[in-house]
Amino acid sequence: MIRLASAPAVALAVGVALAPLVFLLRVSLYESGGGRGFYAPGTVTFDHYAALVHAPVAFTVGFALVVAVLATLFGFGLALFLDSLTSRRQLLALGMLLAPKLAGALTAAFGLQRLLPHGTLAALLAEVTFVLPYAVLAIFLRLRGIPADLIPAARGLGATPWHAFRRITLPLAAPGVVLAFQLSLAWGLGAFVGPLFLAGPAQATLGTQIHAHVAELRWPVAAAEGVLLLALTAAAFAVTRTRGRE
Amino acid sequence: MIRSLRTLCWLFLLAGLAPLAATVWVSFSPDSFLTPPTGEWSLRWYGRFFADPRWTTAAGRSLLVAVTSAALGVTLAVPVALSKSRRLPLVMLLPAVVPPVALGLGLLPLFHRIGLWGTTAGVVLAHTALGLPVVFLLLRTRYGQQLVECELAARGLGANRWLVFRRITLPLLRPAILAAFAVQFVLSWNEALVTVFLTTPATETLPVVMWSQLRGSASPLVAVAGVLSAGTSLVAVAALARTTAGSPRRR
Repeated sequence: MIRLASAPAVALAVGVALAPLVFLLRVSLYESGGGRGFYAPGTVTFDHYAALVHAPVAFTVGFALVVAVLATLFGFGLALFLDSLTSRRQLLALGMLLAPKLAGALTAAFGLQRLLPHGTLAALLAEVTFVLPYAVLAIFLRLRGIPADLIPAARGLGATPWHAFRRITLPLAAPGVVLAFQLSLAWGLGAFVGPLFLAGPAQATLGTQIHAHVAELRWPVAAAEGVLLLALTAAAFAVTRTRGRE
Repeated sequence: MIRSLRTLCWLFLLAGLAPLAATVWVSFSPDSFLTPPTGEWSLRWYGRFFADPRWTTAAGRSLLVAVTSAALGVTLAVPVALSKSRRLPLVMLLPAVVPPVALGLGLLPLFHRIGLWGTTAGVVLAHTALGLPVVFLLLRTRYGQQLVECELAARGLGANRWLVFRRITLPLLRPAILAAFAVQFVLSWNEALVTVFLTTPATETLPVVMWSQLRGSASPLVAVAGVLSAGTSLVAVAALARTTAGSPRRR
């Protein structure tokens, strides 16, 4: 009964998350429509993959790494801060943290446009703003799970605050920190609102390229870039996962 | 030292609000330059916003899409949250793993093929799927051991499955259902990254119109749209806080 009732949600999650990947792969192998349609049906070509050597991969990866490092560092700091607050102030701080999320990414982007000169820095700050709440929550939830008497116990046994932090808080929070890094790295790889609205062509990422090629109705080109983006995201998860186990 | 670090954190959080403050400020500007009003404040751009059918139609559509996808998402996710399966939760998280750009891009030819591209129904379906991970997690977190024990107790007292679901499960899940509804409403209301691939000028949502106006010479109208979208999300969350705080917790 429950199994049957679950079917629509499962179908929707699988359909919307996985079916597009199949379409992405197929469309990336079509020849471009050349002004007639979005692609030429029935054709097969690897040209769009060959053209990926011109894709801004290095910039995208570098950009994503900086976003991930900044979001993880700030996220860790803010998570420790949240964890140290009384519950009423904690609520206020959480509200402040989530306010930009409530207002929407585009509202935040518009505001940042007013405050910062266009460029890499503005694009970076925008993307960090977008992903920071997730990074903070991933680490904060982990910190909350640490038994409250561990630190006083360590201090009672003669550990300095720094020693207690390094030997207790840090190892116990580590899975949350890794998760925050993974999330923000994946987010940074797919970044396009920041680079699109707060920077220019010099800061093109895979995301902005995909968006531009869709606007130009060159679907197969965009699809090949999309496949590359997915491959990079998968690789990022694979690499950080082994790191997390060590 | 700790105290100054805390002050720094508060300042950091305040700085995060600066873009929103700038948006609110610009929305009250009396002229079309994107400079904050210094002397004179004006509601001119709010008047323009509500007089422009492109903005109002998009806002109306966004509202419809957000309510529909919230209702649909919660309805679909409840049975999955109640299932004992261990694999289903992983499936529910799938839409959160794929980068939004890739999702939008992949959905574009798929929806084009099955006739959903550029339709409001397509946007609702996409938003519902995008929200499933969060909606599911909220419901699942609430449906813990305690709730299962209440169900078992009711079953032991002779209630049939349907009665248990209606009289025990649903009322106890109520706070999570409301929270999931509000969160999914806000997610859908603000969704732009995927929607921008799936809409045509005939089916624009509010964020999509903002998107089209954000590049080049953005007008204070975008600021008005931003203030209204932030305000609506805030109302949704405030309404949630009120209903959950007002309802006595039955355990």
